[in-house]
Amino acid sequence: MNTNLKISNVTKIYPGCVANDNVSLEFNSGKIYALLGENGAGKSTLVKILSGVIIPDEGKIYLNENNLKLNSPLDAKKNDIGMVFQHFNLFETLSVFENLIIDSDEQREVLREKIDSIMRKYNFSIDLDIPVLNLSAGQKQKVEIIRCLIRSPKVLIMDEPTSVLTEQETSELFLSLKKFSEEGILIIYITHKLKEVIELCDEVAVMRRGKLVSVSEIKNENIESLANKMVGQNLKTIKKKKEKNSSDKLINITNLNFISEDPFETNLSDINFSVNRGECLGIAGISGNGQSELFQVLSGEIISDKNSIEFNKNYIGDLNPQERREYLMAFSPEDRLEQAAIPQMAIFENVALNNYKSSNFFNNGLINENKIKEHSKKIISDFNVNTDNIELKSQFLSGGNLQKLIIGRELITSPDLLICFNPTWGLDVGAINYIHETLIKINEQNKSIILISTDTDELLKLSDKISVIHKGKLSKIMDADEVTSEKLGILMGGGN
Amino acid sequence: MIIDVNFVGLIIASIMASAVPLILASCGELITERSGVLNLGVEGMMIIGAISGFALMTVTGSLIIAVFGAMLAGVLISTIFAFLTQTLITNHVATGLALTIFGIGISAMIGKNFVGIPGKEFPVLFESLKDTIPLLSPILFGHSVVFYFAFALPFVTSYFLKKTKIGLIVRAVGDSPESASNQGINVKLVRYACILYGGAMCGLAGAYLSMIYTPQWIENMTGGRGWIALALVVFSTWNPIKILIGAMIFGGLTIIQFHMQAIGVRIPVQFLTALPYIVTIIVLVVISRDSRKIRLSTPSSLGKSFYKDN
Repeated sequence: MNTNLKISNVTKIYPGCVANDNVSLEFNSGKIYALLGENGAGKSTLVKILSGVIIPDEGKIYLNENNLKLNSPLDAKKNDIGMVFQHFNLFETLSVFENLIIDSDEQREVLREKIDSIMRKYNFSIDLDIPVLNLSAGQKQKVEIIRCLIRSPKVLIMDEPTSVLTEQETSELFLSLKKFSEEGILIIYITHKLKEVIELCDEVAVMRRGKLVSVSEIKNENIESLANKMVGQNLKTIKKKKEKNSSDKLINITNLNFISEDPFETNLSDINFSVNRGECLGIAGISGNGQSELFQVLSGEIISDKNSIEFNKNYIGDLNPQERREYLMAFSPEDRLEQAAIPQMAIFENVALNNYKSSNFFNNGLINENKIKEHSKKIISDFNVNTDNIELKSQFLSGGNLQKLIIGRELITSPDLLICFNPTWGLDVGAINYIHETLIKINEQNKSIILISTDTDELLKLSDKISVIHKGKLSKIMDADEVTSEKLGILMGGGN
Repeated sequence: MIIDVNFVGLIIASIMASAVPLILASCGELITERSGVLNLGVEGMMIIGAISGFALMTVTGSLIIAVFGAMLAGVLISTIFAFLTQTLITNHVATGLALTIFGIGISAMIGKNFVGIPGKEFPVLFESLKDTIPLLSPILFGHSVVFYFAFALPFVTSYFLKKTKIGLIVRAVGDSPESASNQGINVKLVRYACILYGGAMCGLAGAYLSMIYTPQWIENMTGGRGWIALALVVFSTWNPIKILIGAMIFGGLTIIQFHMQAIGVRIPVQFLTALPYIVTIIVLVVISRDSRKIRLSTPSSLGKSFYKDN
């Protein structure tokens, strides 16, 4: 049976922002649709409206000519619309099985049978009786998908599903999605990754600032044309000039170990690497394989053995982040709002937190506000942060602007080494481009970078050398030119 | 020296009787906390239950009205908490503390007229069987219906949480209210229900104290049992069976230290009085130290307000 889903003149206005501005779209089963847009373009709002999480101010949704009243997620489920959210909607401490059955009224035995047959059909293998927190991101996503499939949906919406997946997991997901599509499920795929749109989808709708800007068939598009539609201007493609780097060692890690007392953290074992001046070392891996612990050890949030980290010919393993900054290291953590900045504090106050010795932010214990503000303004203009109000609370900056502010705060001291962890996570193409350009510039000034990232494309683009972290162990360090994303994917999955 | 087995039986029975209010209040609070709500008003709800039960018994003369009235009083006062924390999104900790202060104050005010009035005898079950089996009879028979209910409650609670659909929903809400809401579960409704249930159990615990355990009204007669109940929930890592163990240890040591004081054991009284608190916590910490299990049974959203922004 054919499924036809129609969105008609949907508008959703938030204070100070039109999330969806009179959007109309039509979908038919048998095809995979991409909904493409930068962060804040309104695509998540639109699919949350389709799944009943958000109620639109105006507009109607029709499924096979029937006007749907979607006032809660339950309504969407009843109308056979299933959605896999970007941030998993799973209950971490409940078992996989409990997660799957929570919204169903059928008998447990019947459901188990049903789940088993779904898993057999699509070749999923997940232990149903372990708690969800023991699963990898890819497995968690499968749990979400199974949860939708139990209800035999007519429409399946996937919100940025690959942001946490490896290359292999992504291609497995694509195979499954194609299979679902052949079976008559209408698939709407939300993403800002252009490559995926080209690879997977049949039709693409592009959104920008809450408005629908174009609907077209994939065969008439290419990556550049889509990128330009998405951003609304011509993007320059950036490329790193690979030069012969110096062999002057800046940081040298030897026999670094970290054993955590928290069973949900990853232990690091026997980490050895070094980075030369002007070089970018990329560290790839699926999230949760020790990246966060490695970042914390490198930044000094976790203190390690004094001799395990040699930086600029000083042993600094036992120093805290502030002391490491004095040796000209700088850090950009993964979680922008929790680790890098304090959301409730103003921009200039957040700038003052990086209080390096020569800054004169504080005189005799008093805050030198003028000095800090002057400094903050310089960061904002130098690093293209899109605001002129330095008194703004940092939580109101978009992800991209906040990241620019953080990188700017770190770089203004011209450090010798910048350690960043997923610097472009969740950012839109424009902001990603800017951050990438900035990172390349750092290398050109003969400064070094350690880039811990789960985005393989980003690593291949920016790194001179790449290593992969898997279960707290680092693979051998490879020249970036010799590595392909397939090879990285295998190493990330624990293969050779 | 010959130890009378029936005397031992009686001591065990009295230990169990002193554990009853702790078990009732803890199991109620456990459900509330499993849904992610931290209600520190246990002491206040218990004392309200105690005065309501006693007052209703004196005024109406009906024990049934008194017991259910006490539970209803617990429900009503916890409704205030639920309305504040769930509808007006106030802070759980501050609201709970206020509830306790409010409960103690208002119970003292209502209770003024009931001081010194003797209580009524509460009927016991299976009294005719009291002399049939040595040792076991005094433990098993001749107790109030609330007593039997209390000792069944941890097992029922455990079954409810693990095996029933609604139990699963309660745990899910406590784990992640956001996910639950996106799954179409009415988080507020679940939390309201859990808070009200907790209130009813605390009311019953209070009524047990003023109507059965020491049938009279004394100001502030809960005497910190509400706080012990709260501590039991946390140190048992939200496990009803461990609450039972903890309550028994606490009740046991309280009774035994009384006897020790009476015999005149040469240990400072202060230390003896503190003993139940210390030992209970040590034992519960030791039996629940598996950090993986703690993670799995701790309601991740405990004490955090949830509001949906549409």
